[in-house]
Amino acid sequence: MPVDSKILPFRFRCLEPSNLTDALNLCSQSGDQVAILAGGTDLLIKIKRQMVQPEILIGLQRVPELQQIQTNEQGLRLGATVTLSEAEHYPAIQREYSALYEALRSMAAPAIRNMATLGGNLCNASPAADTAPPLLAFDAQLRLQKSGQERLVRLTQFFLGPGSSCLAPGELLTEICLPAPLPDSGSAFLKLGRVSCDIAKVNAATYLQRRGTVCILCRAAVGSVAPTPVRILQVEQLLEGAVVDSNLLRQAAEAGAKAIVPIDDIRSTAKYRRQVCQVILEEVLQAAWIRAGGVL
Amino acid sequence: MSFTTIGTVTPRKDGIGKVTGAERFTQDITLPGMWSALCLRSPHPHAKILAIDTSEAEAMGAVVLVPDDVPDLFYNERTVSVPARTYRDRRVLPRVARHVGEPIAAVAAPSEELAFRALSALKVNYQLLPAVLDPVAAQSATSPSLYQEVFFGDEVVAVSNNIACQRQITVGDAFQALAQSDFVFERNYSLPRVYHHQMETKSAVVRPDPDGGVTVWCTTQSIHNVRHLLARIFSLPMSKVKVKKTPLGGSFGSSIQMNTVIPICAALALKAMRPVKLVSSREEDFYSHTKYPSQIHLKIGVNGDMTIQGVIADVLVDIGAHQIQAYPYLGSICGWMVSLYKWKNIQYEGKAIYTNKVPTCAMQGYGNPQMNFAVESLIDEIAHQCGFDPIEFRLLNYVGAGDEFWGQGPTVRSIIKSCGVEETLRVGAEWIGWDRRQMPEVKSGRYRRGIGLARGFHTSGAGSPLPAEVVDLSSATVKVNEDGSLDVITPLQDLGGGTNDAHAKIAAEVFQVPLDKVGLSAVDTTTTCYDVCTHASRGTYVGGAAVLQAAQQAKTMILDFAGRLLGEFPQQLEMVFDSKLAETAVQSIGSNVKRMSLAEVARMAMVNGWGTAMGSGSYRQKNCPPSFVTNFVEVELDTLTGIIRIARAVSLADCGTLINPDLAAGQLEGSLMRYGGYALSEETENDPDSGALLCQGFITDNKIFSTNEMPYIKDFQTYFANTYEPSGPFGAKGLGEAAGNSVASAIANAIFNASGIRFTRLPITPERFLQALCERKGDQ
Amino acid sequence: MSRTIRLTVNGQPHQLEVEDNDLLLNVLRERLDLTGAKYGCGIGECGACTIIMNGKAVLSCLTLAVLADRSEITTVEGLGDYRNLHPLQQAFLEEGAVQCGFCTPGMLVSAKALLDENPNPSEEEIRQYLRGNLCRCTGYTSIVRAVQKTLKPAAKESHPKI
Repeated sequence: MPVDSKILPFRFRCLEPSNLTDALNLCSQSGDQVAILAGGTDLLIKIKRQMVQPEILIGLQRVPELQQIQTNEQGLRLGATVTLSEAEHYPAIQREYSALYEALRSMAAPAIRNMATLGGNLCNASPAADTAPPLLAFDAQLRLQKSGQERLVRLTQFFLGPGSSCLAPGELLTEICLPAPLPDSGSAFLKLGRVSCDIAKVNAATYLQRRGTVCILCRAAVGSVAPTPVRILQVEQLLEGAVVDSNLLRQAAEAGAKAIVPIDDIRSTAKYRRQVCQVILEEVLQAAWIRAGGVL
Repeated sequence: MSFTTIGTVTPRKDGIGKVTGAERFTQDITLPGMWSALCLRSPHPHAKILAIDTSEAEAMGAVVLVPDDVPDLFYNERTVSVPARTYRDRRVLPRVARHVGEPIAAVAAPSEELAFRALSALKVNYQLLPAVLDPVAAQSATSPSLYQEVFFGDEVVAVSNNIACQRQITVGDAFQALAQSDFVFERNYSLPRVYHHQMETKSAVVRPDPDGGVTVWCTTQSIHNVRHLLARIFSLPMSKVKVKKTPLGGSFGSSIQMNTVIPICAALALKAMRPVKLVSSREEDFYSHTKYPSQIHLKIGVNGDMTIQGVIADVLVDIGAHQIQAYPYLGSICGWMVSLYKWKNIQYEGKAIYTNKVPTCAMQGYGNPQMNFAVESLIDEIAHQCGFDPIEFRLLNYVGAGDEFWGQGPTVRSIIKSCGVEETLRVGAEWIGWDRRQMPEVKSGRYRRGIGLARGFHTSGAGSPLPAEVVDLSSATVKVNEDGSLDVITPLQDLGGGTNDAHAKIAAEVFQVPLDKVGLSAVDTTTTCYDVCTHASRGTYVGGAAVLQAAQQAKTMILDFAGRLLGEFPQQLEMVFDSKLAETAVQSIGSNVKRMSLAEVARMAMVNGWGTAMGSGSYRQKNCPPSFVTNFVEVELDTLTGIIRIARAVSLADCGTLINPDLAAGQLEGSLMRYGGYALSEETENDPDSGALLCQGFITDNKIFSTNEMPYIKDFQTYFANTYEPSGPFGAKGLGEAAGNSVASAIANAIFNASGIRFTRLPITPERFLQALCERKGDQ
Repeated sequence: MSRTIRLTVNGQPHQLEVEDNDLLLNVLRERLDLTGAKYGCGIGECGACTIIMNGKAVLSCLTLAVLADRSEITTVEGLGDYRNLHPLQQAFLEEGAVQCGFCTPGMLVSAKALLDENPNPSEEEIRQYLRGNLCRCTGYTSIVRAVQKTLKPAAKESHPKI
């Protein structure tokens, strides 16, 4: 077991582009042995554990374009290296994107949140990534850039499997775009771990829009219960266009728990995940409905 | 009894160093010309090391240590038991790797990075052997074996069916007693492997000395233990092995034995002829030690009048790849059972099994939390089933004042003189609201609360009237400096609990000097007499008694000097603190007709050439008084997610006279955290196929409680009974281990009270709790 | 290929040659002899290496030294010394919040970062903020009490004893 978490035992070069153009150029010129370093809280652990051994790190800490947060009538645009704590303390997120705020608050320790970035959490492509379910629920789009090119990808299309995303070689996630919240909408996030500072055994987020007693829009997403964070259409279909009451939310949560494909691993069991997925789905649906102004 | 210094809250003496970052733990030691070392650890659970090609690593400039380089001596890294009762099965580097993570070679190089590269360049030729990973299958005739033979004392003994050792203990006739009992209850209990998770990883720095000896800084609970072993392994006179008393970042039993990395580091330093530092990574530390996982089969006979008639217990311990203290463990775990209740008849059989897993060693309680969980769960169940009041049932049957107590297995016994069990039960019951407790049947809703109780104890040291299987000896020196300040010199390690502060307070009390005039000397094995180890909660009780003896000797000399100076019989003099002059005075008893300051007496003794007032000597306690602890816990269950929260708790202790009240409370508080985790979440299991740890040595998947898993301050109380132990220094007993032994049991009993479900296996994770709820629904 | 970085650590400017793969924790400990921050796990799970960098608590075991170039760093050694203890250090001593002391430097630095951010935290907020700093000795009770002790009287919660 040649592992030593005290040091980074292998030499690499850490490049520090100072603007986005340089960063994109470096990404496109570099070969296979390149890794993008954002907050470092996942990548450096992978290097220590020798899961990756890059020769070049492209550090994004000094790229100001990636650190911006902007809000306008279209919605919220978050630079990829905005840290979890910067996002957590951003008033519009606290006010209007409750599910994302709750996810951020649930993550790791404050010191990690001061380092880790939103983009890093997504690009790491963990099935348990806590920012993924709320961003899926808000139907986030990701701006992926390569020198001279860019594309917008819906987050639903981004994850391919554990640790794997649709990022092409040389491509960089630069921005996460959230649509503006709709009137009479609400969202919520919940997570269960072994202790309060933990990778999720299961997490769930939902976003609902209400007209009167009818749910006119629903997006629900869960993590840690499939190879990637996933939307659960079964929940959404049951709710959209329906008159909402407690029973319906319970049925929707049940349908959601049936739709997932969890596994046994060191953090939990498939059976448990299915059971509690239903519980937290029901709770986030209730919370989001009430936040949308609904009554139960 | 009233005291001047004892029982006052004072900032700990090493505190300023610790809060300013100035305290130097082993990993913080740097020496000129020092190299960094790393161990190569086996990726296989069981493999013969056929050859190790070191050429590439050596070409990089590294010094490499392989099994052929180390003395061919088999030892047990723990030297607390007497040699004749000690199994020996390991050498510095083995020729057969017996668990994943066992060090099989090591390198030292000018930098850690170079050491890592050299380590990666070692080529090992393994012959893979079939692994033994299940302690039951291990005993079958067809199972592969870890050892053909090992040493027991000086004898070579054969190992059959992977049975490392076993013990049988019989008192009376338990079979007959149970046959004649009104009720017999029987259960199997299963206690997990748990990693100590002390914050400092095992580390060593070794400097070869010009005289051929070594100076050692290392993570250890016993500097003298390390010295004995290094001297023996490397054939050095003990006078050339200087082990420095170095602060250690928690241990909880994991450094009772000389840690594996210490002799490896010493061998590397001697080979490289330069200082070498070896700091285990966290993942290596995970692969170094765990708590003893134990299966306990318990059968208790009880009569309708609430009297217990007898007990039959079978204990199976999966000890992993080496014996550290399995043999004494089998005796001790029986003793913890024996000393809980008056069984009258006892039939006990314990068996320790070798498996290809991380070696097990003592962890806060040394079998006591395991046995306590079994007994206190079953006692609670019996009370419930038979309709006995759980408190009265315990009060009728507990082992208390006047009864015999087994402090460290069957050979370490003494009579209990101080006991606060009843007080802790009564006060705790009132605080938690025991009378308002409702039975599980009437509880409903998603969140349910329940109150549970368990009581336990632990020994203070391993002393007894007669020499026993366990060495118990301490020593101390107290000297009076020429300004009236004191130096307390003790080899005994402070594991963080404030033991050395207790020593300072004992000396301050004897001399009536302010605590800030008492210094704790930096020492090593060459400047101190022998102390066995800080284990068995003996630091205050035994080590403190050694300090008391030395302080009293020094005081006798001071009174003698003062008598000469004042023209008075020493017996007519006493020491008092004069608060007006802010100095300690030696004066006529009850008056100050004849008076000198302590400082003046000490100074004049020097000026007159009479000498330094000092006391020094070894000390053995002839008792092992138990400290009693009672835990009441209120849990809150979420019946939908299975999450169990400790909502309220009160921990009540009888540890005799309180010496450091805040630090004593800290023992109880910390124990709720460690044993709350033991009850609800911690498990450091191996992959049943590969033998690797499931968490792979990373905290990421071996979580302990954080601030958020603990109850709020207002919801967690500590309490100390008003008792005095006549054999202890100023009436004090131990506390460290007693503090934790019954916590998990109380939590499990509270879970029963909330849910009606009895758990016999720890930890009670949300997964297991929901599973049990489902099974119960299925039954209905 | 080593590079030059400039750091201001506890108010003192430093210029150092470091390698790209050097971790800030090891540079602080080995090059500047600031051994207060500890190696506890190396993977950001224990908090023993917590420092304050440019006003924020971060884990030095997961920070590249080269990326700390031009930053302002506070370690436990910068909080205060025996002549002039920081109120948090004083409170830790008075409340028995120090046992083995290994987690203490990281815990104190985290607590300082908390109070810099939120001068009047509730018990809940203190617990949330310190949840990444593991302590195996104290059960955290005395640590939380110590942090509370430094707060203005209005924010203090009283804890009656039995």
